[in-house]
Amino acid sequence: MRARIGCAVAVLVLAGCATREVQFHRWPAETPAANNKADIARMQGLQAAAAAAATLATPQASEQAGGAAEPSPPVKPDDAPSLKTYDPWARLNRFTYRFNSRFDEALFLPVANGYRRFVPAGLRGGVHSFFANLTEIDSVINYTLQGRLHRTVRSFGRFVINTTLGIGGLFDIAARLNIPYEPTGFGTTLARWGMHPGPYLVIPLLGPSTFREGVGYAVDYGTDYAINFGDLYRGGQSWGLGVTNAIDQRANVDFRYYSTGSPFEYETIRFLYMRKQLIEDAGLHKSKPVPKPKPDEPAGK
Amino acid sequence: MKFLAVFALIVFCSSSFAEPGSAELPPAPGPATGLADSAALRATVFGTPPQDIAPLPDTVPMLEMEVALPWRQPVPQIFWFDKRLRVWFSAQKKPAPLAIVISGTGSDANTAKLSVLRAILYGAGYHVLTVPSPTFPGFIVAASSTGVAGDLMQDGHDLYAAVGQIIAHLPRKVRITDVDVLGYSLGGANAAIVKSIDATEHKLHIHRALMINPPVSLFATIGRLDKLYAVSLGNGDAGIERFYQQLYAQLANAYRASGRVALDEDFLLGAAAAVLKTDAQFSAAIALSFRIALSNVFLAGDLYSGAGVVTDPAHPPKVGDSLEETAQILRSKTFAEYFTRVFAPYYLKRLPNATVDSLVAQNRLDVIGDQLRTDTDYYCLTNSDDLILDRAELGWLTKTLGTRIAVYDHGGHLGNLGDRQQAADMLAMLDGRWQGSR
Repeated sequence: MRARIGCAVAVLVLAGCATREVQFHRWPAETPAANNKADIARMQGLQAAAAAAATLATPQASEQAGGAAEPSPPVKPDDAPSLKTYDPWARLNRFTYRFNSRFDEALFLPVANGYRRFVPAGLRGGVHSFFANLTEIDSVINYTLQGRLHRTVRSFGRFVINTTLGIGGLFDIAARLNIPYEPTGFGTTLARWGMHPGPYLVIPLLGPSTFREGVGYAVDYGTDYAINFGDLYRGGQSWGLGVTNAIDQRANVDFRYYSTGSPFEYETIRFLYMRKQLIEDAGLHKSKPVPKPKPDEPAGK
Repeated sequence: MKFLAVFALIVFCSSSFAEPGSAELPPAPGPATGLADSAALRATVFGTPPQDIAPLPDTVPMLEMEVALPWRQPVPQIFWFDKRLRVWFSAQKKPAPLAIVISGTGSDANTAKLSVLRAILYGAGYHVLTVPSPTFPGFIVAASSTGVAGDLMQDGHDLYAAVGQIIAHLPRKVRITDVDVLGYSLGGANAAIVKSIDATEHKLHIHRALMINPPVSLFATIGRLDKLYAVSLGNGDAGIERFYQQLYAQLANAYRASGRVALDEDFLLGAAAAVLKTDAQFSAAIALSFRIALSNVFLAGDLYSGAGVVTDPAHPPKVGDSLEETAQILRSKTFAEYFTRVFAPYYLKRLPNATVDSLVAQNRLDVIGDQLRTDTDYYCLTNSDDLILDRAELGWLTKTLGTRIAVYDHGGHLGNLGDRQQAADMLAMLDGRWQGSR
């Protein structure tokens, strides 16, 4: 009986069956001074990076640096995919997108906002670092499979440093030592091996993806389950950990379904996501020219 | 997914594209038609540099309110998520004046620009209520009494009624000592109209109104934006596709050179400066951002008015239908076409004595020219290089408002929003301390 009532409430909530004239949602307070300070620091960082890149680009500097890497063949405008996107599962994807939006508004976002409002920032930072540290296991495996061994070493180093000095990953000591967090997964490994993104895919609860990335998620999860580091991925504790991980991820994603107010939002996100994937793919194969798309062939096919 | 928004700015600028302005509208002379100067274009795209922003408070409380308004029209299926008007309120703990801030063209109640204004106003001791533009689809669906956005007076009445409902539902412990209204871009013109409506209806008791970078004539401005688009991008889909291809290639090359493993927000922010290079590209980005807003306004107006320009009134699109074809059709629609094929037919039918010329005339700020001239509680902040104004319009504003306007030399359109000088002047105007430009 309880389960039935629970299901009925969930259906009503997810169906958007709210009838009150006014609804209030308290959000975490904005922090304008800190945000502005971060923007200034970020801008200065970008300017410094641009200046450093300009210096390295001079022939003299390249020689001093021991010779420049072989330049990539440039991507030309004609290499850009068409404005259309390969989406043969559009009907299912649109349904999933709507489901995700309702789930997010009714449950996921309120919980994540509560987490941001009531859990101290220091603790949230620790939780975030903890889960990020666990993803280094996937990164080590996949950078190896991708043949990018220097990155394998870097991810492994980060994992060792943060697991030991960072007390089980609660502190990102490696970042303070200028070893940045650069995760990768099996989806990127498939891309490195030459697999195309394939059809656009909206995954329940997770959101925009492609067929290739969807396979990547599944394999990454399977890998984590098989390795079962620290006995975190099996048994009762895995549920609690999974939920906490999901809340942490949502709390760190600045996106709200239909905040554009636009019925074209699905098309917009699909367009952007697929181009992002294709540009990242171009970055994975720097030494090769980008394959020229066939006329009118949708992006991702 | 913030990166998607930045990515959108850089790449998805190609979502709406135009033919040259319709001959049925009067020509729109002004700096934009010859392309505004480079500094104005860059300021408009990049906005106020963070180091120039006025001092901001440490925290601003955020209460989201979703209001169901009784006069809402039946909601077209594809707008199912826009049934309630979403606004944001930041309350002081003690009695304080209320600042109602209206967003710019096509924007919601929580944009980055509104965040800056909200923080400055909250820091100065105001309760702050931010509301979307009447041209934001969420407003058109939830709060418009017509569904056909863009008429200054009609939108003003809808806004006035909506704000009245919202204030009536504010938390009881909130104590309001005074009410001011302000807005940026089209929201600036909306703010002035809302105050003028209040002067006759006396429901909100609005004290001061402040327009930030407002248009003077809506239709001269949209004509100018159409022309800006045509000048910078050319006509039809070929020009659009070429622009998209150029941006895509530049982004891909910048990404390859960066050595990053993911295309994230930081990369995009850094790449934006490198990707947009020429005045024509900056112009295109500006014109496109307005055009993207137009797609939604056009589609909503077409559905509500039954004009049948991009949808079949007998078989309107349903939830789950692909809108790709509709989006493609809308890519070729200009502001002028919205006026001539959706807006004008709807209002000409509704207002028996109206003509196309009278519709153009009533969508100028001079419909409230007398109030602007004689009521000393109207103020304006703008820039001499704002590309939505021509010299004559700026002259009209200056002449009409006298000492109650501050005109800065640089900033383009909203490119100095929230900088120290502008923020200080804004607060002086709202506080009644403004002594005129120095």
